Amino acid sequence: MTATLTESPIAAEPVPVPVRASKARGGASRALWVLPPLVLAAGFFLYPLALVVKQSFVDKNEHVGLDVWRDVLNSPSFGDALWNTVEIAVLSTLGCLVVGFFLALVLSFVPFPGARAVGRIVDTVLAFPSFLIALAFTFLYGTAGVVNAAADNLGLGEPLVGFLYSPWCVVLAEITFYTPFVMRPLLAAFALVPRDRLDVAASLGAGPLLVIRRVLLPEAWPALAAGGSLTLLLTLNEFGIVLFIGAKDVTTLPMLVHAKGAVTFDYPGACVVAVVEVALSLTLYAVYRFVFSRTGAGRAGLVA
Amino acid sequence: MLVWSRSGRAFVWALFALVFAPLVLAPLAILGIAAFAGDWNSVLPASWTSENIREATAGTNYDSLVVSIETALGASLIAIVVGTWAAIAARTAPRFVRRLTDAVFHLPVAVPSVVVGLGMLVAFSDGPILLNGTKWIVIAAHAVLVVTFAYSTVSAGLDRTDAAFADVAASLGASAARVLLRVRLPMLLPSITAAASLAIALSMGEVGATIMVYPAEWRTLPVSVFTLTDRGKVLLGSAVTVVLLVATLIVLLLVGLLKGRVEERKRRR
Amino acid sequence: MTAPAIERTEASTVGAAPAAAAIGIQDLTVRYGSVVALEGLSLEVARGETVALLGPSGSGKSTALKAVAGFLRPASGRITLAGRDVTYEPPNKRGIGVVVQNYALFPHMRVADNVAFGLKARRVPRAEVTRRVTEALDMVGMASYARRYPRELSGGQQQRVAIARALAIRPPVLLLDEPLSALDATLRADLLGELQRLRADLPDVAIMYVTHDQTEALALADRIAVMRDARLVDLDAADRLYRRPPSEFTASFLGAANLLGARVLAACAAGDDAVEVAVGGLTVAADPTRAFAEGERALLVVRPHSLEVTAVDHPDTLSATLTATQWRGADYRLTCVLDGASGQSGQSGREIRIDVTDLAEVPALGERLGVALPAEPCVLVPAGVAG
Repeated sequence: MTATLTESPIAAEPVPVPVRASKARGGASRALWVLPPLVLAAGFFLYPLALVVKQSFVDKNEHVGLDVWRDVLNSPSFGDALWNTVEIAVLSTLGCLVVGFFLALVLSFVPFPGARAVGRIVDTVLAFPSFLIALAFTFLYGTAGVVNAAADNLGLGEPLVGFLYSPWCVVLAEITFYTPFVMRPLLAAFALVPRDRLDVAASLGAGPLLVIRRVLLPEAWPALAAGGSLTLLLTLNEFGIVLFIGAKDVTTLPMLVHAKGAVTFDYPGACVVAVVEVALSLTLYAVYRFVFSRTGAGRAGLVA
Repeated sequence: MLVWSRSGRAFVWALFALVFAPLVLAPLAILGIAAFAGDWNSVLPASWTSENIREATAGTNYDSLVVSIETALGASLIAIVVGTWAAIAARTAPRFVRRLTDAVFHLPVAVPSVVVGLGMLVAFSDGPILLNGTKWIVIAAHAVLVVTFAYSTVSAGLDRTDAAFADVAASLGASAARVLLRVRLPMLLPSITAAASLAIALSMGEVGATIMVYPAEWRTLPVSVFTLTDRGKVLLGSAVTVVLLVATLIVLLLVGLLKGRVEERKRRR
Repeated sequence: MTAPAIERTEASTVGAAPAAAAIGIQDLTVRYGSVVALEGLSLEVARGETVALLGPSGSGKSTALKAVAGFLRPASGRITLAGRDVTYEPPNKRGIGVVVQNYALFPHMRVADNVAFGLKARRVPRAEVTRRVTEALDMVGMASYARRYPRELSGGQQQRVAIARALAIRPPVLLLDEPLSALDATLRADLLGELQRLRADLPDVAIMYVTHDQTEALALADRIAVMRDARLVDLDAADRLYRRPPSEFTASFLGAANLLGARVLAACAAGDDAVEVAVGGLTVAADPTRAFAEGERALLVVRPHSLEVTAVDHPDTLSATLTATQWRGADYRLTCVLDGASGQSGQSGREIRIDVTDLAEVPALGERLGVALPAEPCVLVPAGVAG
């Protein structure tokens, strides 16, 4: 299938200074080769998204207007879901940044025998489905879960009753699942820091905390920003963890889309929530891309 | 190199263990335990059984397993072909087209999976292309969700491979198709298999879009796990999850073997 | 072998109490897992003295420096700074200035902030910091670059800043780990001159200078410690080590000497001035570095520039065949193979190198030449294992 796609474009490339006309023609034909995948993406991704936006303005009786928007935005469940979504995402991201920075710091600069194996476990978690963590949490922190049972055995009562169904449990689960997303770029950034730099900093009289603050943190900042904004984006959109923990009070925007779209079949209402959610995450995504391109450029500047 | 004293290092490592064990190790371990637990009302299960695992690989769960694998393979294949094509073609396209392609193929990662599912429902429930109610709506949704990873992995691979190889091959008189087949794609093979592995892993565990669009006869394993746990059958749910992880691992191993085969054939030629 | 060291230490601390060496290393061993990186090193560096650790890569010289700096934990042995045991003290408590090969400047800080780093870590008052930063940058001629970032500087400039940063904390001990190795030849020569000037400006600082380059060691060091395979081979004043290398390894590593196989004709004692040896077909007087038995195989150390080329069959010369010539601007380097001679050590086998400044006519390859040994006796070292 792909064999047919480079008839002329690449052959035209090595010619250093082609005539202007042929260059233009080459550009046009090169652009043509991108069309098939672009058309597929438009048909199966952009077109449905556009329809979602359109549907949000058409109510069940085929009236066009802002009625659905007004109804949804005024409903208390929407406000709660929006607040829950943002709160959970922000708290989880902060948690991931703190935990991820610490874990990456130890793995990179205070390595222990087996640190590599730990790094690999962390990598593996990246490929796991997120609901797996939520499922595990029901065994760990549920009313009859391991932690409560252990505490009960020790005569401490059952301290975690209700924890499983609180937003905090969702936050903890998301920290567990998304910390690797922060660690990955951090580990890569730390690997580029020459060990000499830490040694010399210490010889100049700086203790570990000062070295972290003045030498490592400035190096880690781009990776933290990139990892953090990606995590914020993914936690805003997280669905599996919230669904599987199944707390009644913890409704997020994706949960609301699911409830309206797949349970009560209120497509227009679901579409309104979806548009809000997409607008939220696209804004964040734009920030992420901006930060990412900045850090990419920054690194290139450092090399040159 | 950062913490110099032995006691300081011991302290840092203890803190690491304290964070890492409950946060990462415990959830993974607990699922394994739950999958084989017979009766569990205390800290550790009172009895052990393989009954749950047996049930997780039989009947409707077995059907779900097959559905999951078929969906993952189908969606990943589509995503890899489309993503690789887009990445290679965008490379030589004019700057504007390249940027547009970049934006379009990176976008799905920013859209919640449930919204992708909702979009599929809205767009393909009637009209010229009717997918709702068929397995194709699930496969299409998965393909949309994972195509980003295929595109960006192959793009990154292209960034790493030196364009000079293709130029040299072309200067030696190789046709464009030959350069693609014999130079570019083989050099991209590591990126492509990495992309395929990631796509398969993600697709096998996908819930959000699937739960929006799946027809009754095309229920993937994660959805089965959800319905089981929703009905309170958490131990069986864990067993099904373990089966899902093992199946994913096996499929990924097979992809790895396939890659080895291709590379070996390349060497022999 | 350590006798000159003691002499030197006493000389440089005249009037002071019997002061401890600025750096004291006793029987230091460092292991990486099962690999021994440094074995049983003992060495002292006096106040105001420069000791160069010279050796090929993997000889343990950098390991020794890192252990003194505190970057590595030794398996056994002791390190003292001015008599204070610092063997297990972290580097940030040692107060040592360290300069490394790749500068290790902090890329996100301006030059002035890099230099101020150590002072701020020591909580020096701000006004004092400014003053000492300027002072340190002045010493290396970089004062006008204070507002620049490291990436805006050349390699040589970066290394000057790194030196200023190390000096700003006014350390009694300065450790330099291959400071010139990352620079190109011209810059290296410039900075070497700069280091010599600095050396004169810092009369009280003890310097340990790790290098694989004999030029740097000879230019800067009072004493040179020659290292090989994790061990100290020879330690002596720089000029003495060059003129009378006590071992085959030092002779070839310091000054790239030719080592001619020789046979001792009459036994001699360690202190003797001269001993007769047979080299090729000649009988010459040699300067023995230790006692030799009659008939013992030994090596004659002959510097390439001390050899002369004559017509073949000239009396009292070795005959050889020319295999390569290399014009090096200031001189020619001729590579020859000695006729029939055997027993030369070294990987070159029977090859010898001759540096000649003026050649009336460059001999053709394959031409036969006479090679005249220098008039004064050459140094005789034991053959075989070094050290």
